[in-house]
Amino acid sequence: MRVAHPTRASLALADGAPLLELTDVKVSYGGIKALKGVDLRVFPGEIVAMIGANGAGKTTTLKSIMGLVPLAGGAVKLAGRPLAQDTTEQRVAEGISLAPEGRAIFPNLTVLENLELGAYLHRDAKAMKETLEDVTELFPRLGERMKQEGGTLSGGEQQMLAIGRALMARPRLLLLDEPSLGIAPKLVQQIFRAIAEIARSGVTILLVEQNTRIALSTSQRAYVLRTGEIALEGDAKELASNPEIQAAYLGG
Amino acid sequence: MARGQAGKSGGLRWSRLAVGAGVLGVALLCDLYLADFVHDSSIRQLFMLAACNVLVASSLNVINGMAGQFSIGHAGFVGLGGYTSAVIASNLHEMLGGGEPTFARSFIVVPVCLLASATLAGIFGFLVGLPSLRLRGDYLAIVTLGFAEIFRLVIATAQAGEDGSPIARALSRLGGQNGYMGIDNQGIPLYAGPFWVFGLAFVLGVVAWRIKFSGWGRALRALREDEIAAAAVGVDPTRYKVTSFVIAAVGAGVAGGLMAIMRDGTPIVNPDNYNFQASFDAITMVILGGSGSVTGAAIGGVFITFSIKAIEQVQATSAVQALRREFESLDLNALRMIVYALVLVLLMVVRPEGLLGERELFQKRRGGRGGSGPDAPRAGAKAEAA
Ligand SMILES: Nc1ncnc2c1ncn2[C@@H]1O[C@H](COP(=O)(O)OP(=O)(O)O)[C@@H](O)[C@H]1O
Ligand SMILES: [Mg+2]
Repeated sequence: MRVAHPTRASLALADGAPLLELTDVKVSYGGIKALKGVDLRVFPGEIVAMIGANGAGKTTTLKSIMGLVPLAGGAVKLAGRPLAQDTTEQRVAEGISLAPEGRAIFPNLTVLENLELGAYLHRDAKAMKETLEDVTELFPRLGERMKQEGGTLSGGEQQMLAIGRALMARPRLLLLDEPSLGIAPKLVQQIFRAIAEIARSGVTILLVEQNTRIALSTSQRAYVLRTGEIALEGDAKELASNPEIQAAYLGG
Repeated sequence: MARGQAGKSGGLRWSRLAVGAGVLGVALLCDLYLADFVHDSSIRQLFMLAACNVLVASSLNVINGMAGQFSIGHAGFVGLGGYTSAVIASNLHEMLGGGEPTFARSFIVVPVCLLASATLAGIFGFLVGLPSLRLRGDYLAIVTLGFAEIFRLVIATAQAGEDGSPIARALSRLGGQNGYMGIDNQGIPLYAGPFWVFGLAFVLGVVAWRIKFSGWGRALRALREDEIAAAAVGVDPTRYKVTSFVIAAVGAGVAGGLMAIMRDGTPIVNPDNYNFQASFDAITMVILGGSGSVTGAAIGGVFITFSIKAIEQVQATSAVQALRREFESLDLNALRMIVYALVLVLLMVVRPEGLLGERELFQKRRGGRGGSGPDAPRAGAKAEAA
């Protein structure tokens, strides 16, 4: 798969430096403090998982990275550069791409139109065609349904479409918000195999999940978010055998 | 395969050109000979009014249908265009030496008028569109209504007389509540014949269609369906929302300009032509035809124009007139609002997406632009083989 190769955003990175770095990120909605100072780092080539219960602030973390919510404090850096001044569009152009929560696809647009919109910021026809081929190879189900309206797809297919659309921007960093939410287990397996393949092609991934088991088995490192704060972090395998995690998130 | 497609699209382009030329030719013939075939000028007026209303509806459709915002002040932009064209046509007519408004001269007067109308309406569209960045739904709707009412009231309440600021003096010449009737109340010269009215309705209808299926229109529809997801793929909501207001206002300005200087129309523009009822009619046209559908807006525009006329006809019948002598307050035009409201309620129950929904008449493939993207079945087969 070539998805990652000709990115528009060629980010200069020093050896061992993180691609994405959040330092003391705070976000409030009115009076509610959704994030109370989150520190997080994602290194190039990694799959990093962020797990946590409903309402912990996972979606808010991703929105803060995309510039979809204002920060009340702290900083988000991409390849060492602060993003504070950048609009969401600029962040997409710089190589960050989000597959939003709840399969937020465009239901009245066809699958093809949805995917084409993913490449909205760089309409180079050849690159777009290549990426489209990559995405249909990754998700053959999408290839078979190009002319169908997005809203007529099954839940799992819509999730594939959301991920495919995010890939169309040829990101360096892919943010996935609960790709397993409300999807049949068999399709969840397929989707996570695809996620692993995307990572192998060179895309760095920050994966937000409530499904702790599959998140920890797919990722290398993980963070546990609890009411707006990082409660635990570490190697995914170690976290999976951590008794506290097992009790709280893996059902004993 | 590629060559076959190129040949096909080449053929398509020629047939499209032929259709365009054909329509303009028919419009030209109408301009020259319509009066010989259709002797009743009120019928000619009706057809041309329908074409203007197609423009009103398809421009409002850009905001209310494609962009998913809600404007209830479209008449403000139509009125702005109407007054602008009325004033410019009158002055230009005077400068050209008066007399009959000839077809030859219309090639000077109409473009100048409509360009001015479009520009002025576009500027106000930009100003009214700015709040759309921070306001949503009903709040934005109130801003648009506020704009339309301010426009109407500023003109209606301007006092006659030559004192006060230059702006006040200029406004005072617009006739206030009685309407503007050209220089020295001679009437507005009606330059826009069927050629302009039908021709522009067709051309701008095609433009609306192109907008819908362009990358721009697709981004707009994406924004409407899910703002966060649209932003996440890099669509800048700010630019799109404001631009959609500007485009809609420009279309409305042209429509208003055409109506003001339309041959067989009335040689007067009146602030009451642009009241809330006019905005409501425009909304009805869009909703009836199907929000987001260009052909739907056109159907809605024609239907509402004709039904208004039909109600007027019924009102004029002797039976109704006789009834009116009994019940003085009987006003079918007011009843019309009730009828439309009922039709809309019924439509919401039976077919909430409107006549056509977001679909189009004459639409072959959805958003298909030849050759973009891989052949779907083949890609699937390749992946399975791999
Ligand atoms: N738009 C919003 N307005 C107000 N509160 C919000 C909004 N979005 C999220 N919240 C609150 O912020 C907290 C974190 O939410 P979220 O980031 O969506 O959590 P998660 O994705 O982990 O389920 C929750 O308490 C939620 O109620
Ligand atoms: Mg969430």
